[in-house]
Formats: sequence, structure tokens, C-alpha cells
Amino acid sequence: MHPDLEPRGALGRQLRALPGEAQPPYDFHEFQRRAAAQMEAAHASRKGHLLATTATIAVLTVVLLLRFGVATSPWIASGALTAPVVAPPAGTATAQPEVMERWLAGFPQDPALVRVGTRAAVTGLEDRIAQLDDLLSAARLERTQRARLDALQQERTRLLGALVQVRYAETLADAAQ
Amino acid sequence: MDTAVPDEVLARARLGDEAAREVIYRTLAPATFTFIRRVVGQRALAEDIFQDTMMALYERLPQFRGEAPLGAWLRQIALNRCLMYLRSPWQRARMRLEASELATGCAPNMLAVPGYRGDSIDLERALAALAPTARAVVWMFEVEGYSHEEIARAFGRSVSFSKSQLARAHVRLRAWFEPQEIRQSCTLI
Repeated sequence: MHPDLEPRGALGRQLRALPGEAQPPYDFHEFQRRAAAQMEAAHASRKGHLLATTATIAVLTVVLLLRFGVATSPWIASGALTAPVVAPPAGTATAQPEVMERWLAGFPQDPALVRVGTRAAVTGLEDRIAQLDDLLSAARLERTQRARLDALQQERTRLLGALVQVRYAETLADAAQ
Repeated sequence: MDTAVPDEVLARARLGDEAAREVIYRTLAPATFTFIRRVVGQRALAEDIFQDTMMALYERLPQFRGEAPLGAWLRQIALNRCLMYLRSPWQRARMRLEASELATGCAPNMLAVPGYRGDSIDLERALAALAPTARAVVWMFEVEGYSHEEIARAFGRSVSFSKSQLARAHVRLRAWFEPQEIRQSCTLI
């Protein structure tokens, strides 16, 4: 086959004359199955994006609150930053430190997807809790005033609550991925 | 491709009747797939674009006003989907990467087979050997009857882009049909 490519119309005629597919690549039922799978995937992707966005906003807000040194954490008191899809750690504001410790232990140790900002917030909080533990131990040994011990204990509880929230948001974002 | 779809079937399909939609599928799908395959070349990719095209058809069916045959309307959707793929930054980067491979005389989706005789290469094979953009330009100009201005608009490029793509494609197509005893030929993988 040596088609004459000039003038313009000759090639067009030859291309139009090429044999076409007799059948589509798959039948209508397969098309429907693939369409349903695609729509399901798109729906899951939208849902995942929504979850990830919510979790990211929560993490960023917590990080900002911690970064700019808010004296008290209003979100702990009001529960305003709790994620909408999965229930947050129940009663974080009033929970006993032991309860929060147990909750923390329940989170996965290392998220599959590590965000540097979130990781920095987590390690920062853990460092500050460790420092407070040192201070508390020293204060108990030195038989410091009860009010001072209570203040340290309250600060530790507050930081623990913040850590629970950050880890919770991190886990949510991880699951959404 | 302008296989007629009865008005009554079209009306039922617009209302979501599955049987009517299946009739439309059976009527138009083979030609639509052939068209996409010609433009993009690779079968797997053509299947993906075909799936998107047919989904778009059923989604937009209620908006179809019947001013043109349904087949022509579907062909336009298919062409737009192919162009979306060809214009995507990923595809353009890939084409740049493969430009050096083209210099060897083998299209990116072809496999060099020593000893293949040039005189048995047909037009389909020659078309498949073109780069995707060149193939789309050839098809739009020669078969669909688009002008260079329209092709340039479709690709978001200049008129000279369309003209040079077509001229180079013609040169390459001619080269395929010249007797070549030594050339390493290519076959589709």
C-alpha cells in the first residue's frame, strides 16, 4: 500500500476508509460497572479531601494557639475545634490525666503520612510535658506549696489535652489519606 | 459515525431509561472508540477516554437539543476529551521526553523489530507511528475537516503550530511509504 499523500483530500479519504472497530472495547454492563466504580471513587476522594481539610484546619488552629501562647485553651473548654465526623476524645476538658494518657496510648505510634508542622507540634508538646514532669517531681521532693503543685498539675493536664487533640487530628488526617 | 438513533429511544434515554441507553451505547460506542483510538493511539488510554466520553454523554443527554446528529455531538465530546489529554502538562512533558526516541524513527508506543519489511507497512501503522499531537492534527485536518485556525484554538497554540505539525506529519508519513531496505521498522506493542 503506497498511498498518494498529496493533495490534501487523498490522505483524508484513505484515513476515512480505514476499517473501524466492530465492537466497543466492552459491553454496556461493563461500562455501567466501571462508571459506578469511578463515581464511587470520586465520591470517596471528595469525602477524603473534606476530612483531610477539616483535620488540617484543626491541626493548624491548635498549632497556632500553641505557637502564640494563648494562656488558656478556649477550644478545650468549648470543644469548638472538635472534628465533625468522628467523636473527639470524650470530655477532654474535664478528663483525668490518666484517661487522656490511655487515649494517647491508643493512637498509632507513627502515622503513615508525617507532616512536619504537626510532628513539630507533637514533639514540642511532649517536650513541655516532660519538663513539667521534671518540675513536678522536683516540687514534690522539695515539698513545694500545694498551690504551686496544683498549678503545675493543671498546666500538665492542659498540655496533655492539647497533645490528645493534635494526635487525634493527625490520626484523622492520616486515615483520610 | 452518524448512525441514527431513533427519536423515541433518545427521548427515553433522556429520562434515564437503561434499555434505551444501552441501545445508544451499542449504536455509537464502536465508532466512538475507533475515533478515540485513531487520535490517541494507545488502546489502554483510548479505553479510559472512551469511558469518560460515554459517561459525559449520559450526563449531558438531557441538555442535547438535537440540532446535530447525536453521533456528531458525541464525536465532539470525544475529541474534546482527547484534546484535554493531549494538552495536559503531564502529556506534554512526556512528549518532550520522547522526542529523542522519535528521532530513531520509532514512535514511543512502538517496538523496534529488526528485519521488518517496509513495503508491508500500511497506513494505519504509519499513522500509529506519529507522535500523539501530530496524529491528532492530521486527523482533525484531514478527516474532520478542521481549519488550521480551529486546530490552533483547540490546542491553545498558534496557526503555525498546526501548519508545522501537519507538514512534519506529512513528511513522516511519506517517509514510511518510501522503499527502505535497511531501515529498522517498528511494530505496535
